[in-house]
Amino acid sequence: MTLLAHLRRLEFWTAITWLILMVLGFLLILPILRVLMLGFVDAETGGLTLGNFIEVFTRNYYLNGLKNSLFVALLGTLGACLIGIPLAFFTARFVVSGQAWISTLAILVLVAPPFIGAYAWIMMLGSNGFITNFFAIFGLSTPTIYGAHGIVLVFTLKFFPFIYLMTQTSLNGMNKSFEDAAENLGCTPWQRFTKITLPLVFPAVSTGAIICFVLAIADFGTPAILGRGFRTLSTIAFAAYRSELGGLPTMAVTVSIVMMAMSMLALLLQRRILAKRRYASALTNPPRKKRMRDFRNVAMHFFCHGIVLIAMLPTLVVVYTSFLKTNGPVFIGGFGLESYERILRTAPDAIINSFIFALSAVVLITLFSGLISYVIVRRDTAASGGIDFLMMVPYLVPGVVIAIGYVTTFRGGPLDVIGTAGLLILLYFIRRLPYGVRSTMSSLRQIKPSMEEAAVNLGAAPARAFFIVTVPLILPGLIVGALMGFITAINELSSTLILYDGGTITMPVQIYLAVLDGEFGLAGALSTVLLICTGVCVYAVFRFAENRDSAFL
Amino acid sequence: MASVEIIGLRKLYGNVMALSDITLSIPSGAFYTLLGPSGCGKTTLLRTIAGFHAQNAGKIAIDGTSIEDLPAHRRDVAMVFQDYAVFPHLSVRDNVAFGLKQRKVNRTEIENRVKEVLDVVQLGHLADRMPHELSGGQQQRVGLARAIVVRPKVLLMDEPLSNLDAKLRVDLRAELRRIQRDLGITTIYVTHDQEEALAMSDIVCVMHGGIIQQAAPPIDIYLRPANRFVATFVGANNFLVVNRTASGAKLVSGGADVTGLIHDDAPIVCAMRPEDVRVLGPAASPLDGEITISARIREVSFIGREMEIFVETDSGEHIKAVSRPDPAIVGLAENSPVTVAIRPKDLSFFLDSSDGARVS
Repeated sequence: MTLLAHLRRLEFWTAITWLILMVLGFLLILPILRVLMLGFVDAETGGLTLGNFIEVFTRNYYLNGLKNSLFVALLGTLGACLIGIPLAFFTARFVVSGQAWISTLAILVLVAPPFIGAYAWIMMLGSNGFITNFFAIFGLSTPTIYGAHGIVLVFTLKFFPFIYLMTQTSLNGMNKSFEDAAENLGCTPWQRFTKITLPLVFPAVSTGAIICFVLAIADFGTPAILGRGFRTLSTIAFAAYRSELGGLPTMAVTVSIVMMAMSMLALLLQRRILAKRRYASALTNPPRKKRMRDFRNVAMHFFCHGIVLIAMLPTLVVVYTSFLKTNGPVFIGGFGLESYERILRTAPDAIINSFIFALSAVVLITLFSGLISYVIVRRDTAASGGIDFLMMVPYLVPGVVIAIGYVTTFRGGPLDVIGTAGLLILLYFIRRLPYGVRSTMSSLRQIKPSMEEAAVNLGAAPARAFFIVTVPLILPGLIVGALMGFITAINELSSTLILYDGGTITMPVQIYLAVLDGEFGLAGALSTVLLICTGVCVYAVFRFAENRDSAFL
Repeated sequence: MASVEIIGLRKLYGNVMALSDITLSIPSGAFYTLLGPSGCGKTTLLRTIAGFHAQNAGKIAIDGTSIEDLPAHRRDVAMVFQDYAVFPHLSVRDNVAFGLKQRKVNRTEIENRVKEVLDVVQLGHLADRMPHELSGGQQQRVGLARAIVVRPKVLLMDEPLSNLDAKLRVDLRAELRRIQRDLGITTIYVTHDQEEALAMSDIVCVMHGGIIQQAAPPIDIYLRPANRFVATFVGANNFLVVNRTASGAKLVSGGADVTGLIHDDAPIVCAMRPEDVRVLGPAASPLDGEITISARIREVSFIGREMEIFVETDSGEHIKAVSRPDPAIVGLAENSPVTVAIRPKDLSFFLDSSDGARVS
C-alpha cells in the first residue's frame, strides 16, 4: 500500500485507540509510575535508595502493620467464604422463600459505603453502644468491637456478598448431570458436595475470595474507625502521608507499594491455580431445586435470612440514628429531624460537591466506556489488548496510591488550572472507569459484529455507524455501567481524603470526619442521604440489567 | 450493473496465506459463486471486496475503477449477511431506508423506493414490524431488500441461506435468483453448499487453501473438474490406483488398460462418479466397450429414491455406486461376487496429489 492509502485508512477507530491510550497514559499510568518511583527515593536527599523498603521490612511498626493487614484480610475473606458459600448453596439448590429479597439485601450490603458498617458497629457494640449498654443493665459485659476481631467481623459481613453472588451464579450454571452422575456412581450427598460441586465452583469462589482479599487489604475506612491502635498498612500509609505533608510522601508510597504487591501476588496465585481449571460447559441440563423438610428447612431459612439481616443491621442502625433527636453531638432521647437540619445547615457543600463530582465523572465514564469497550471487543490489535489489561489496574491499585500520584504529578503542574475539584473528577473517572467498561463490554459481546458491518456497508462512516447502530444496541450496558460508576464514585473515601481541600469536601469525607468527632447523628443523616442515592441507583440497575445479580460484581 | 476485476489479491493472517494471489473476472450481471469448504478463503475474499479486511497486495476494480483502498462505507457494494444483521432497534421500513438515508436521498424518493423494494421481496405488509416479530426467512428478505434498495454496483451475499431450514432454503434460493435476474445486478455469492452453488450460479468458483481451483459454469465444474480437489469436493467420486509401467497404464483393480485415455506420465489416479458406476449381479452382463472390475458386495443401503452400493475389488480397493433401486442387488448378501462396469469416457484421471491436475 502507498503512504497515501495508509493515511486514508487512518480512520476513526485508530484515532480513538490513540486517544484512549493517551488519556490512560496521562491519567493512569503516569501518576502510578510517579508514585512507584517515589518509593525508591530518599526523602531527605532526594537520591535513589532501597532504604524505604528496608525500613518497612525491618521496623516493627511496619512489620506489624503488614502482619495485621494480612491477618484481617485473610480472616475476613475466610469469614466471607464461610457464610457466602453455604448461602449460595442453599439458595441455588433448595427452595428458599424470599430468595429475591435475600439477593437484594446482599446487593445493598455490597454497594453500601464500606465505612458505614464500621461506625454502625461502634454504635451497637462500642463502649457506649446500645447493645453494650443493654447488657450492662444486667451487669454483663459484651466483647468490644474495637481491634482486629471487629475489623474481621465487619469485613466478613461486608464482603460475603461477592462470594455468595459469584458462587450462586456458578452453581446455577452447572449442569445437573454432573451431580446426577456422582450420585449414580455411588456418592452420598455430602461426598457429592465435597467431591463434585465444590471443586466445580472453585473458580467462582476463588475469584470472589480474591476480590474480598484485595478490597480488604486496600480498605481504609474500617481499620481507621475500628482500629484503635491496631494499625494496618492502609492506615499506616495514610498516617505517613499526613505526617510527611510538605515533604515527599516516600514512606506512604512505600507502604502502598507493599499493599499493591500483596494484592497482585494474590491475583497471580489465583490465576495460576485457575489456569488448569476451566470447566465451561453448555447448560444443557439446568439444575433443579429441591425442597428441604422439617426442622432442617426451618434452620436453613433461619440461616439465610439471618445472615443478610445481620449484614444489613449496620445500615438500619445508621438510618435509625439519623432520626434520633440530638442536641449537637448528644442524643437527647426521642425522635427528631435535627440531624437533617444540621446537614443542610453545615454540610450542603458536601452534598452538592458529591453530586457534581460523581455526575461529572459518570459523564466521562459513560463516554469512554462506549469507546473503550468497542476497541477492546471489536479491534484485534496489540493496543486493544493493552487497554484491556490497563482496565485491571484501577482495581488493584489502592485509592491512596492513585491519589498520592495525582498530588505529586498534577499539583502545581500545568493541569492544576482545573483545581482540586477537576482533579477529583478525573480521579473518580479513572478509578471507576472499569465498572463502566466491564458492563458495556458484556453488552457489546452480545451484539454481532455484522450489525456495524451492515451499517458501514450501507454507507455509514465507522463513527456514524457506532453512534446510530452500536450505541442504541449497547444502551442497557452503558446505563448499568454509568449507574455502577455513580454508586462507586459517590461513595469514594480514601483517595478523596488525600486530595480534598476546604471547598471540595464530599459526603463520605464529611461522614468520616463526623464519626471521628463522635457526631453520630450528623454522620447518620449524611449516610442516609448516600444510602438513598445508592438505593435508587440499585433499583435502576435492576430495571436495566439483564442479570441483576451479576451486574454488581 | 458492473463488472468486477480482481488481480493478484493477497491476504495474510500472520504467516497464514488466507488469499493467495487471487485473480478473477466477473462479467456484468453475472451470478458468481465462491464455493469451498470452511477455511478455504471464500468469506475472506468476499469481506475483502466489501472492505472489511485490508488486503496485503492486489487490485479490486469495479467497472475499471480501483476500490481496494476505499474505506468500506464508500465502496457501493451492498452485502447480505449470514446472520441477517437486521438492526433490531429499527422497524423493517427504517432498516430498508438506512442506506438511502446515508446517501442523503430525499424523503419522498426514500418512501417510494422502500415501498417498491418491499413489494419485490413480498414484505410490503410488514413494513412497520420490528425485526424480532419476523421469522428468519422474513428477516433475510429484509436484509436483501436493504441491500438492493441502494442499487449497489455489486451485491455480496455471505451464505445468506445457511441459517434457514431446508425447505425455506430451497424456496428462497429460487426467489433470490429470480430477483437477481430481474434486477440484472452483478452478484458474488458465498456458500459451502454445492447444490446451492450449482443450482443458482452462472459461474462457480471453487476455492481451497486460499487458491482458486477452478472457475467455470456449473456443468463444467461437475463433468470436467480441473483437478482432484474439485472432483472430490463437488459431487462424490471413487478414486482407483493406476499402475504405470513402461508399456502403459492399467487399473490395479480389474486390470483394464487405460493407456489411451491419459496424456501424462507422472503418477496418477483414476476417478469415477458413483452415478456412472454400474454394479452387475450374477445374471447381468456388461455393455460393449465397458471396463469391468470384479468385486464383492460390502454393503447395500436402500434409501428410497436410490440405492448406494459399496463394493471391494479383488485387489482391495473400495468403490461406491449410486443407482436406481434394483431388488436383485438390494437382496445380495455381503461378500456376494459382482461385476463393476463403467464406460471409459466416464473416467477422469488426475495427478496423484490432493489437488493434482486433470490429465485426461
